[in-house]
Amino acid sequence: MDPSEVEFLAEKDLVTVVPNFAQDKIYLISGDIGPFSPGLPVDIPLWMAVNLKQRHKCRIVPPEWMDVEKLEDKKQEETDSKFFTPMPSKYYMEVTQVLLKCATADIPRADDVRTLIKDIWDLRISKLRSSIDTFIKSDATHAKLNHLTLMEINTVRSFLTLSLDQLHLLRSNVSGGIKATQD
Amino acid sequence: MAKLSDNYFSIDGILSTQERIPCKVEMPIYRLGYLDSSSDSDDLVAGTKLEIPYWMARGLCSRRRQIVSIEMPRQYREGYREILTADASVVDLHQLGPYFYNFGSELLNFEHPEVSDIAKSLLKTLQARIRLIMDSSQNSLNEDISRLTQKLDETERHLFIAGQKGLIDFQRWETRETEKLVTSDMVKKHRKRKRAIMEAT
Repeated sequence: MDPSEVEFLAEKDLVTVVPNFAQDKIYLISGDIGPFSPGLPVDIPLWMAVNLKQRHKCRIVPPEWMDVEKLEDKKQEETDSKFFTPMPSKYYMEVTQVLLKCATADIPRADDVRTLIKDIWDLRISKLRSSIDTFIKSDATHAKLNHLTLMEINTVRSFLTLSLDQLHLLRSNVSGGIKATQD
Repeated sequence: MAKLSDNYFSIDGILSTQERIPCKVEMPIYRLGYLDSSSDSDDLVAGTKLEIPYWMARGLCSRRRQIVSIEMPRQYREGYREILTADASVVDLHQLGPYFYNFGSELLNFEHPEVSDIAKSLLKTLQARIRLIMDSSQNSLNEDISRLTQKLDETERHLFIAGQKGLIDFQRWETRETEKLVTSDMVKKHRKRKRAIMEAT
């Protein structure tokens, strides 16, 4: 999967915006959006928020977790824990990326948020790598990792599947699973 | 993913079965004396030692036909297996054979007492080296990767490239490169092809 496809999926996530225009409910296949009235916060999908923001039709209210103090706590929790901790949003990386791109002004201390999210990401990726290593060395056939997000899985997907394929081949050599029948 | 050698058209499969195996001729083979460049007789006499490619040895040495007997190549013998057990991650596998794993798996088709040990050693080697491949492939952006891939065998290089792709794709997304619209490669080439046809007529 391409990261941009992951981002596409993340764009279905809801964010709160404060519109500056009035509009009746919009009926879409994925659900109804609105109604919009100036000054009243409303939940809309991320893709629409980005579009409205680009046309200066709304102000984006940053998600609750996108806050320097909360993220610092989260980072601490992630550092202390041996396992993956649940993230405030399944799409934390994607949402941060998109919002910081189009609505930097609406997010207080945007630069700190960016650094913190990146730190948390790095922590989790290095954890992911060491768990992959343990998994591969342990001869196990399956493993379960809780609270991983799609984007995180996506960065190791092709590598991991290919290596497991290869290991499976070598393992079936040991147990004599696949043998050519030329004799 | 099947074994490389199962795919008739796989170049890697062909190359990995080209590797040579030391053999001993068990019965005289007539008219093939030229295979052994050190003798000038017309025939290969029993007891001659020579190296022949895997695909040939495969046909000449089996339970039914014992025309030659094979020896395990140096890099799969006990001495090397011990080195790999000690610390697989520092060994230059490319030097031991560019298709270390594939060729090793092929060798298991012979009936040889060391076969099961070799199979285990191959598995352990890759298990020990995955971490190295993963870390080096995911931590090297915009640098010369030839130094990193130098010690990897072909199978591992495939893994390395897969790891790199994951990293590069993510990096491109993070720097917002992916949202720039670019001409599809097919369209670019299509135009050139059209011109070639136009000029030809």
